[in-house]
Amino acid sequence: MSSSASPRSALARRAVAFALATLALAALGAWLLFGRGPLPIQTDMLAMLPATEQHPLAEIAVQRLAHANGDRVVLLVDNADDARAKDAARALGKALAQNHIFDSVTAELPPFDLQQVFAPYLAHRFTLLGDGDRAALAAGSYDPAQALAQHLNEPFLTGVGVPLQDDPFGWLQHWLDQQPWSRSPLLPEDDLLTAHRDGHSYVLVTATLRGSSFDDQVQQQALAALALAEQAIVHDQPGTRVWRTGALFYAAAARHNAEHDVHIVGWISTIGIALLLLGVFRSPGPLLLAFLSTAVGVIAATTLSLLVFGQIYLLTIVFGAALLGEAVDYSIQYLSARANAGPRWQAATGLRQVRPALLLALGTSLLGYALLGLVPFPALRQMAVFAMSGMLAACLSVFWLLPALLQRPAKPLSAIPVRLARAMQQVLARGGAGRRGVVLAALLLLLALPGWLQLRHDDDVHQLIVQPPELVAQEATIRQVTGLGDGNQFFLVTGDDAEQVLQREEALEAHLQALVEQNKLQGWLGLAGMVPSQQRQQQNHALLARWLDDRARMQQWLSTAGFRASAVSRYLDAWPGTPLQLDDWLRTPLSTPFRYLWLDDATHGHGSIVLPQGAADLALLQQAAEGLPGVSLVDKAASVSALFGRYRGYASVWLLAALLLIVPVFGWRYSWRQAPRVLAPPVLGLGLTLAALGYLQQPLTLFHWMALMLVLGVGANYAVFLREGEPHTGDRPGAMYASVLLSALTALLSFGLLALSSMPALRDFGLTLLLGIAFTVVLVPASLAGREAGR
Amino acid sequence: MRHSLSYSNHRAGRAGRGVFRLALILLLCAVAALAHADGQADGLLQNVLDGLGKHSAVRAEFVQTRSNPALAQPQVSQGQLLFVLGHGMLWQTRTPYQETLALNGDRAARLDAQGQLQPMRNERGVSQISQMLQAMLAGKPDEVLRQFNVEASGAPAQWTLRFTPKQERMARVLGHIELGGNDYLQSIRIDLQDGSSTDIRFSQTRDAGELSALEKHALGLP
Repeated sequence: MSSSASPRSALARRAVAFALATLALAALGAWLLFGRGPLPIQTDMLAMLPATEQHPLAEIAVQRLAHANGDRVVLLVDNADDARAKDAARALGKALAQNHIFDSVTAELPPFDLQQVFAPYLAHRFTLLGDGDRAALAAGSYDPAQALAQHLNEPFLTGVGVPLQDDPFGWLQHWLDQQPWSRSPLLPEDDLLTAHRDGHSYVLVTATLRGSSFDDQVQQQALAALALAEQAIVHDQPGTRVWRTGALFYAAAARHNAEHDVHIVGWISTIGIALLLLGVFRSPGPLLLAFLSTAVGVIAATTLSLLVFGQIYLLTIVFGAALLGEAVDYSIQYLSARANAGPRWQAATGLRQVRPALLLALGTSLLGYALLGLVPFPALRQMAVFAMSGMLAACLSVFWLLPALLQRPAKPLSAIPVRLARAMQQVLARGGAGRRGVVLAALLLLLALPGWLQLRHDDDVHQLIVQPPELVAQEATIRQVTGLGDGNQFFLVTGDDAEQVLQREEALEAHLQALVEQNKLQGWLGLAGMVPSQQRQQQNHALLARWLDDRARMQQWLSTAGFRASAVSRYLDAWPGTPLQLDDWLRTPLSTPFRYLWLDDATHGHGSIVLPQGAADLALLQQAAEGLPGVSLVDKAASVSALFGRYRGYASVWLLAALLLIVPVFGWRYSWRQAPRVLAPPVLGLGLTLAALGYLQQPLTLFHWMALMLVLGVGANYAVFLREGEPHTGDRPGAMYASVLLSALTALLSFGLLALSSMPALRDFGLTLLLGIAFTVVLVPASLAGREAGR
Repeated sequence: MRHSLSYSNHRAGRAGRGVFRLALILLLCAVAALAHADGQADGLLQNVLDGLGKHSAVRAEFVQTRSNPALAQPQVSQGQLLFVLGHGMLWQTRTPYQETLALNGDRAARLDAQGQLQPMRNERGVSQISQMLQAMLAGKPDEVLRQFNVEASGAPAQWTLRFTPKQERMARVLGHIELGGNDYLQSIRIDLQDGSSTDIRFSQTRDAGELSALEKHALGLP
C-alpha cells in the first residue's frame, strides 16, 4: 500500500481528536474527583450491599442502626487500679475535647438532679406498670394491704427513688426499675460512667466526630489525636489499656487494607508488566504506548463511574488496579503486529490486520462484564461500568490514537520468547491434533472429575466485608462490659399508625420476655417498654381503678399502713392522672439515646426497631416473630448471604449462556467444523480451573463464578488472537503465540496478584483467574492443530 | 406481689444509677464488714472484720424499724436472716407478713408457699448484690472503701463502724450507714437525706449450724 498523505493525515486528525477528547474526559474526571469537596471514595462497606429487605422501612432501619453510632467513637479506659482508670479517663476526655476534630466529648458527667428523672413521670404514674405489678394486679388475688406492707418493710431500703408519699406501693418505682437506663451495667462513680469486672475498672468515654467517619481527612486527624492522647495517658497511668470501637476504626481499617492491596497489585503488576514489555519489544517506546493506552482506559473508567454513581467504592479501585492487565492486551496485540511486520510495517494496514481480533475480543469482554452488571449489587454494577468503559476506551485508543504514534517500523520481537513460544506451540499443537487431541481432552476431563466432586459452596457475606479480628474482639469486649447491643439482627415492627406499632411491639415483647425468663435471651430493647401503647396504658389504669376508684377504701388502707393524712390525700388527689404520649416522650431529653428506634418515614409509614440483646439463637428469634402481624426479623447479613447464594446460582447459568452466545459467533467466523476446536481450550480451561478449586478445597462463591466468566472471555480472546494473527506471521513461526503469552502474563501479573488481596472476595477472584488464564493459555495452541484441514 | 422486694431501688437516668449504686453499697458495707478489710483499714477495723470473717454461716433474728416523713408511725418487721459466705442470704420476714427472699449467685428469687423459687423480674440490682457480695467475700472490699470514708470507734468487744459516702452524687441521697457489733454484727442503721431511716437490730446471732433442705435448695447449696 502506498503511503499517500491523505490516510496518514486522517490518522493524525483522528489521533488529535481522540487526544483532546481524552484530555477533556480527564479534566472532567479530575473535577469530579477533587473539585467537589471531600474525595468521593466510598469506604462504607454497607453502601456496597444491595437492598435485600422487602419492606422499605427495613432498609431504612438497617442504615439507621449502622449509622446510629456511625460518627461516634466509643472508648473504654481499662485499668486494674480504679483511681488510675478514672484519672486516665478524665485525662483522655480533656485531651480529646481540646482537639477540634471532635465535636463533643463525654467523660465526666454533668451534675444531676434526682428530681428531674422521675418528675416527668409522676403525672403518668397511674398508667405505667412494671410487668410484675401488672401480673400481680391482674391475678385477682391481689391484696393491697399486704402489698403495701411488703413495700414498706423491704429489707435495707425503700422509697429511695420516687418519694414514698408519691408512690406508696412502689408501682412507678418498679416501672422505672425496668427501664433500660436502670439496667445498664455502667454506673456513675466519681462523675464517670464506670463498670467493674474481673477486678478491673472500666470507664466509658465517648466522642462525636466533627465530620463523617468515612471521610479520609477526618479519619486521619481523629486517629492521630486518639493515638497521641492514648500514648499520654498510658505513660501517665501505667497499666492502662483503651478499648475502642466505632465506624471510624472499621472504615480506617478498610481503607488501609484497600490501599495496601492497591499498592501490592498496582505496583507489582505495573513494574512486572513494564519489565516484560521492555524485554519482549526491546525498546521503551512500546512500553510507553502500552501504558498510554491503559491510562486512557483508566481515565475513561474513573470518569464514567463517577458520572454514573457519583462516588467510587474501594472495591472498584482495587479491582480497577487489576483490570489494567486486561486493558493492556489490545495495545500489546497491535504492538506485536508491528514488531512482526518488520520493515514492511504500515500503521493503517496493521490496524486493519488486528481489528477483527480486537473487536471480537472486546465484544466477548463487554458481554462478560455486561452480565456482571446485571447483578443488583451497587459495587458489582460499578465494577461492570468501570470495566466496560475502561476496556472500550483502551481498545478505541488502539484504533484511533496509537496508529498516529506508530508510523515507523519497529525491531522484531525478542528472539528468545518467540523461540520458546514456538517450541511450546509445536508440542501442544501436535498433542492436540486429530484423534489424539480428543483422547487427551478426555483424559484431562477424567483427571478433573475427582476435583469437581469435591466442590462446595459458601455464600457468607463476610466474603465481601472483612472486619479485622482485632477490632471485632475490641468491640466484643466493649459490648460485654457496657451491655451495648449488637445490632446485626433486629425486629422490624410496622403498623398503620403509631398506636398499632406499639401494640404490635408489645405482643412481640411478650414473646421475647418469655425467652428471657427461660434464660434463652439476655434481654431486648424496644420503645414499647418505655412508652406503652395507649391500649396498654388504659389496661393498666383499669387494673388500678379497681382499688383507687373507691377513695374511702384506699384512704383506709394507706392510713392503716401508717401514712400521714396529708400524704394520703395528696396521693389520692393525683388520681386518675394522664397517659404518657409517645410524641411528648420523644421530645424529652431522656428519650434521646433511644430515638433511633422509632421510624417515622413520610412515605413508608410508621415502624419501630426492637433489638434483641446478647447472643441469641436465630431460630428462636424467628420463632418469636412468627404469627405476629407487622413483625419481622431482619438479618441483613443473612439476607445478603442468601442473595449471594442466589446469584451464585444465576452466575453458573450465565456462564453457560455466555458460552452459548460465543458458539454461533465462532461458528460464523471459523466454520462450524472448526468452532469446537477454537472453543475447546477456553472451555477445558474452565473445567480444569473448577477441578483445581475443588482439589484446593476452595468453597465456591459468587466471586469464583464471576472470575470464571472473565476466564471464558479472556480465554476466547487468546484463541481469537492466535487464530487471527497466525496468517500474518507466517515468516516468524511462534511470534503470534509469543504475543498471546505476553497478554496472558500481563493478565496474570495483574489479576493473579489479586490472590494476595486482603479481601476474600478479591482473593477468590484472583486465584480463579490465575488458574483459569494459566490453563487456557497453555491449552490454546491446540486450537491451531486442525487448521490446515479446516481451511 | 413482687413489689415487696425492691431494695434495688435504682432509678431512672443517671440519678437512678446513683441511687441504685447506693443500694448496692449499703449492702456491701455489711458484707465488707463481714468479710475483711485491706491495708487501708486501721487496727480496730481490721480486728472487727477479721472477727466477723471467722463465721462462714450465720443465723440471726432481726427487727427492722423504718421511719419515713410520709409515715405517721414507723414500720416494724421481724424475721430471720441466714447469711452464708459465698452463697448469699435468705431474708425471711415473719411479721407483719410471711415471705422469704433468696439472693444467691446472680439471681434474686422469692420462695413461694410450695418451696419453689420464683425468679424475680427486673431485679437486676439484687442479682448484682449477690455477685458483688461474692466478690467481696473473695477478698475484694475495695469497692466499699472506694465509695465511703470509714470511721471505727469502740473496742473489739463493742464496736461501731460509720460509713460516710465520699461521692457527692451519693451523699445527696445518703447520710450515713452505721454498723455496730461485738463478735457478730448487731445492728445496721441507714440514714437518708430525706429524713427517712432504717434501723435493723440482730439478736440471737449464732453460727448457722446445719442448714435445712429448703434453705440449701434456696441458696443453691448441694
